[in-house]
Amino acid sequence: MREKNSEDELLEQVTSTEYKYGFTTKIASDTIAKGLSEDVVRLISKKKEEPQWMLDYRLKAYHAWLEMEEPDWANVNYPKPDYQEIIYYSAPKQKKKLNSLDDLDPELKKTFDKLGISINEQKRLSGVAVDIVMDSVSVATSFKSKLAELGIIFCSISEAIKEHTELVKKYLGTVVPARDNFFSALNAAVFSDGSFCYIPKGSKCPMELSTYFRINEAGTGQFERTLLIADEGSYVSYLEGCTAPQRDENQLHAAVVELIALDNAEIKYSTVQNWYPGDKDGKGGVFNFVTKRGVCYKNSKISWTQVETGSAVTWKYPSCILKGDNSVGEFFSVAVTNNLQQADTGTKMIHLGKNSKSTIIAKGICAGKSNGSYRGLVQISKGAKNSRNFSQCDSLLMGDKCGSHTFPYIEVKNSSSKVEHEATTSKIGEDQIFYCNQRGIGTEEAIAMIVNGYCKDVLSQLPMEFAVEAQKLLEISLEGSVG
Amino acid sequence: MGLLEGIKKYSQENPAINTQNKEAFSMFLELGFPTKNDEEWKYTSLKKIISKEYKIENKGEKINENEITESSLGLGEKIIFLNGELLRNPEISGVTVTKKTNNNPKYHDAITALNAAYAKNGYNIVVKKNTQITEPLEILFLTKNASNNFIQYNNSILLQENSSIKILENIKNLTQNLCFTNTKTEIKINNGGVLELNKIQDYSDSQFLIDNTNIVQDSKSCSTINTMLLGGAFTRNNLSFIQNGAHCESNMNGITVLNNNEFGDHHTYIDHKNEKCESNEMYKGVYAGKSNGVFNGKIMVRPDAQKINAFQANNNLLLSDDCSINSKPQLEIYADDVKCSHGCTIGQLDEKALFYMRTRGISEKDARQILTFAFVAEALEKITVPSLYEKSKALIEAKLNVSLSI
Repeated sequence: MREKNSEDELLEQVTSTEYKYGFTTKIASDTIAKGLSEDVVRLISKKKEEPQWMLDYRLKAYHAWLEMEEPDWANVNYPKPDYQEIIYYSAPKQKKKLNSLDDLDPELKKTFDKLGISINEQKRLSGVAVDIVMDSVSVATSFKSKLAELGIIFCSISEAIKEHTELVKKYLGTVVPARDNFFSALNAAVFSDGSFCYIPKGSKCPMELSTYFRINEAGTGQFERTLLIADEGSYVSYLEGCTAPQRDENQLHAAVVELIALDNAEIKYSTVQNWYPGDKDGKGGVFNFVTKRGVCYKNSKISWTQVETGSAVTWKYPSCILKGDNSVGEFFSVAVTNNLQQADTGTKMIHLGKNSKSTIIAKGICAGKSNGSYRGLVQISKGAKNSRNFSQCDSLLMGDKCGSHTFPYIEVKNSSSKVEHEATTSKIGEDQIFYCNQRGIGTEEAIAMIVNGYCKDVLSQLPMEFAVEAQKLLEISLEGSVG
Repeated sequence: MGLLEGIKKYSQENPAINTQNKEAFSMFLELGFPTKNDEEWKYTSLKKIISKEYKIENKGEKINENEITESSLGLGEKIIFLNGELLRNPEISGVTVTKKTNNNPKYHDAITALNAAYAKNGYNIVVKKNTQITEPLEILFLTKNASNNFIQYNNSILLQENSSIKILENIKNLTQNLCFTNTKTEIKINNGGVLELNKIQDYSDSQFLIDNTNIVQDSKSCSTINTMLLGGAFTRNNLSFIQNGAHCESNMNGITVLNNNEFGDHHTYIDHKNEKCESNEMYKGVYAGKSNGVFNGKIMVRPDAQKINAFQANNNLLLSDDCSINSKPQLEIYADDVKCSHGCTIGQLDEKALFYMRTRGISEKDARQILTFAFVAEALEKITVPSLYEKSKALIEAKLNVSLSI
């Protein structure tokens, strides 16, 4: 009985742990009226001073979206957002274009300091180049000139549309076509900003590239678009982080990420997703409906790593199309749900090239009254001879009110490929905790230790800076949810 | 005229169905036959089958004793159906076998609704309290028809407290004319009952089958379903277990060996509704030629169904580049103190093992045969009737021999 009480206390503690990033920044912003129509799409395009072909692309996507239905096959329940109640464009007001981060609005700067993105420090360490997207627009990109020396283009996508038109025109929408799904069509119609990155032939990007997304304004939806092209023989490691203020309403985030790894290229894409998850009664929180996909040409490699701790509802399947021979796709994921969070996440590995290989490691941790699902597809086509896939999906349940689900689809169409899939669901064994207790380790620490060990396969894939953050996040998300 | 039109016409000619199970029939008409858009039929198309013309519930032709002997495995007492009619009904003490007369069957989808609408044939087996039947009971469904025909059966088995029985079931088409069978078996196992049901499915190329088997278990009961799918143009097995009581055990084992254009689909569902239960699932598949296989296994653990152990394995060998397998193992877990796992593999024989055997003077063909048999043997060993084990082994070996030579 005593244990039960301490459990309750611990639970109490967790639920009262505040979302650290729940503040708002008071910044004058340029916000358009809510609602979506052809005029809004035109207005966004006009505000971004976009060329005609971009507007045509948006309008085509908008009309496709009108005919599509919101998907409901995922194992999540949420009130469907009213798409006319969302503000599709909001930008912090800034008069002139900035050359350096030092010229930033001090309020903005404070925000970034609070978020832990200390721009100065990063400058000193020269570790990471950051592109920061607040609400709808990119506000700052660091190390731009240094990267430019190497021929690496790293800027906001709206800048790229104007300045690197040919590249954008050639690749935008090739991996995730506007008609791909409901949310990608919506994104294609109204995306306001995002990051663009191009790594030229044979070069290795000397630093981690990073984008930080932040929703600030109330009632806005965030629709960013990321396009990353690694030309032949190049390498890049890319990080993505996100936070949002604490609000009672549900905010929509529908992003599209497209990765293109040309012959012999390698892309490592890491995400720490920490959108506001809603309070303990499930009020508020971000709806995270994201389409992420990469295409691998000959001998290339795309590796997705994600740590998902935030969002009220997550609907996310970073995928790889292994088009070229000998291409490699990887997916490492830790998805944590607590309270009333719901996550339906996983990956798709489409093997088309010969000798293509893929690895899937998905770890789910469910606590409170949350539900987590893994949904994945491994498809080996007839021509993908000697292909190999290994999938492992484990779920850890904490508490008897949560649920964990696995929905893998495996389709194999030739006789020289090998596919392995395994999934387990269990809770932390009492014997494991007992063993730790016996060695003088408290229950809380023991759980942290076990969870950390359980996620190690994934966390070790993250770049240093992110691994530390992710580990802390895990601790905060699960604090006290002893089952 | 396709099957759907045929059924509509049949219902007009036999107005009795419309009155008998009107709701089931209108549900079927509303839903129609499932298509690939239906998640449960994503990989399985009925299009080719239902576009053919069938006579519905046709009387068919007579049969002689020789044909019965040839079709049967000859292991024990037999229940025999010919063209849907009950032909032979054995007398076993402690067991009552009657013709099914349930006019109020359950249904949950288009296929079972169609069955509920007018399937009037089938058996009804009741095993009395504390009765142990050691001799296996063989149930044979034979069809001999001068035209294509569509037949439905509606069966039920009830095991009363602490009784046990072993059953083997086979469906045989004795002609080259197409036979499409839609059968449904409702099984109820009361406290402490033990059932072993063996389905031998060595079907011919003229057979299409949808088999729906639903098992409801009370506490401390045990059920084992062994399915040996060794042929047939189209076979879909829908197998579901509902564990209502505590301390239940449900086992399902399957061996699939297919070649040419054969198609086999196993859909299993286990619903753990009560605590301290167990389920074990093992499906082995060997696919050659242009055969296609589907496996869909779902494990559901309801809230508060604690201390559940659920295991599922699906292993497949693909022998040719023209065959394919689509596998979808699923877990849906709403309780935390459980151990649930599934594993799925798709691959080939171990080249090293083959090489080892060849260095010992075993020909490549024999080595493949031995290794492939060893691959499926684990599931075969779950058959507890020794004579049936031997017969099944012979059937599997014969089929493997053919499959490996393609």
